[in-house]
Amino acid sequence: MGYRRKVRIRKIISQSTVDGPGNRFAIFLQGCNIRCLYCHNPETQAMEDAEAQEMTTEELIEAIRPCVPFLRGVTVSGGECMLQAEQLTELFRAVKALAAEMHHPLTCLLDSNGTIAFSRYPELMQACDGVMLDVKAWDETVYEQLTGAKTNSTVRENVRWLLEHDLLEEVRIVCLPGRVDVETILQNIAEIFDSIGKTSPIRLLRFRPHGVIGELENAPMPTDEQMAQLSELAARYGLQTTIR
Amino acid sequence: MSDIYSIVTSRQLSYEQKVVALAHAAEDTLQVLNIPEQTRRYMEQGVICNLNEGNAPYRPRYIMPDYAKAVRQGVKFLELDPPQDLDELLTFLQVLYRHVPSITTYPVFLGDLDQLIEPFIDGLSDEVVKKKLRNFFIYLDRTITDSFCHANLGPKDTRAGRLILDVDRQLEQAVPNLTLKYDPAQTPDEFAEQAILTSLCVANPAICNDVLNSRTYDRYGISSCYNILPIGGGSYTLTRLVLPRLAQMTEDKEQFLRQLLPDAMRCMADYMSERICFIVEKSGFFESHFLATEGLVERDRFVAMFGLVGLAEAANHFAPGKKYGTDPEADEVAEQIMEVISGFAAQYECPYCEIANHRLLLHAQVGIDTDHGITSGIRIPVGDEPASIYDHLRHSSRFHRYIPTGCSDILPFDITGKQNPAAVLDIVKGAFQLGQKYIAFYASDSDLVRITGYLVKRSEIEKWNSGQAVLQNTTQLGAPTYASAHLANRKVRGV
Repeated sequence: MGYRRKVRIRKIISQSTVDGPGNRFAIFLQGCNIRCLYCHNPETQAMEDAEAQEMTTEELIEAIRPCVPFLRGVTVSGGECMLQAEQLTELFRAVKALAAEMHHPLTCLLDSNGTIAFSRYPELMQACDGVMLDVKAWDETVYEQLTGAKTNSTVRENVRWLLEHDLLEEVRIVCLPGRVDVETILQNIAEIFDSIGKTSPIRLLRFRPHGVIGELENAPMPTDEQMAQLSELAARYGLQTTIR
Repeated sequence: MSDIYSIVTSRQLSYEQKVVALAHAAEDTLQVLNIPEQTRRYMEQGVICNLNEGNAPYRPRYIMPDYAKAVRQGVKFLELDPPQDLDELLTFLQVLYRHVPSITTYPVFLGDLDQLIEPFIDGLSDEVVKKKLRNFFIYLDRTITDSFCHANLGPKDTRAGRLILDVDRQLEQAVPNLTLKYDPAQTPDEFAEQAILTSLCVANPAICNDVLNSRTYDRYGISSCYNILPIGGGSYTLTRLVLPRLAQMTEDKEQFLRQLLPDAMRCMADYMSERICFIVEKSGFFESHFLATEGLVERDRFVAMFGLVGLAEAANHFAPGKKYGTDPEADEVAEQIMEVISGFAAQYECPYCEIANHRLLLHAQVGIDTDHGITSGIRIPVGDEPASIYDHLRHSSRFHRYIPTGCSDILPFDITGKQNPAAVLDIVKGAFQLGQKYIAFYASDSDLVRITGYLVKRSEIEKWNSGQAVLQNTTQLGAPTYASAHLANRKVRGV
């Protein structure tokens, strides 16, 4: 087949109900370029790790093949998937070829923190059906405190670019009162949606301490009431949300 | 006599349960069936088991009245005219259900409920319909005190079907058992997802592969646990072959496949024929019961269910150290056993089974409360399930193809499944495409659990275990089975 490119992988899950629409084969890559305080799988952050492994596209396709009848698609998550963007183009093309071979449609989604411009990878974006984009914060100071990264200007540009190209599968916001400027995010996203005249679902993710290490490991989860308030707020901006 | 005395004086049986138990005891004083010595021996050894059908069958075990026909033409014997509105329909059905005989004395099949109700709800608001359905369902649950009772939905999306799911989810009842007939070409995803979400909340409905099962007869329904039977007919009998008990008689697989198994099957088939002949020729059921005389069931639409249980343990017996479900060697033995059984069923001439071309139809029997170390039908034993749900479902598909009158898998799902019923539907679609015939779910935190095919509340099991009387007969069956079959340890699926 000749699918030789290698991807650095932390974990694969052949049956995921939480990584996009329907039942998905989820591939978690090793390595991330930011350090979110609430990261629930910090073991994927380092670029190298003894428990990570390299897999060729072909090996991944053979892992996906027996699962195909049960799948809606494949999601590549992380770590940060766009750090290996070059390799993913081949993977997504191979997934599409597998889908055609087995007469079973499969979508290819990316789950990304949006720190790398998607516009730089037109071939990947052509093979990709959509991006689930994490918007961690809107205000740069809040963003830096939360992620350690200096700027989120690329994230903001990505919201616009993906929406314009019909590739914004959903916007994900982890809600942690006092740490994340959810209201500002919602307000600005609503403005972008209005200015482009398109929309995308927003998923409000409840912060969960599971897996978190460091200063937030004992932080409380937002209450049902807090989540409902954020959802109502989003509705006032004309945004459709789901809570998880 | 002491048995009868203990029934009469029991503190754990309700009044109705005592009446049924006494009727059984009375029937069993008769010896009207010709049972040869060898068959009797197999029965004493527990190899052939008549599932407490009684010594003198006076009605078919499972009856599937043609309710749609009844609604069209009325029922003379019950002095019921065709119903004209929803209230009349629900009363009509309540009265009719009360008079449908079965092995349990309760109706095992309540019809294609959504299709029966749909024509009667035009012009009524959702709230009005739901209130009426709610009362109807409460009536069913409290009077049909046995959850071997099944109503069907689908495959088409109907407003009635959606409202039934809503009501079912609110009520959290064990009765009726519901199954959605699912056909991707006819059932919209949204309706199927609502059904799956309901199932992950209240363990109901199960999902049936309509594409495959509708090939078995012209019109089928799902009754009792998951029995696939002709509407307007049913099954005369269900007798079962307890494969592990037969397997234990030899270490030689070839002897088992060539001598023991054919001999036991021949005995069981003759015994079933004997029962069928008694029902048809002696009991008077088809000459006198109003369901037959008014054409709501027809004698030539009844089949004979040839039950199997414990395929896993039988296969493992001849593949020492290997496990059915995960080891190819054990699965291969299981396949050899199934080939011999289905070969026998395909050539045995069974009386009065016109709709099945006079053949026996195989059934994956779910087991009974006194089975220990015997896994339901063709299922993989609890604890031996493959790590991957896909491998599990692929395995089921391989063996479901042998079974026309009912087989199923039951999968407890992690509660995250509730947030993404579409994902569970994807899995169902894949499984059905590969040949899985029937699948049931419940969430790992659900009070209602599916024991082997029927539903029981965990809270009711606790009540029964502490010595209190409970309304549902099936709680009494489910309580010991839940413990002895280690059902709490079923592999929970989902991430």
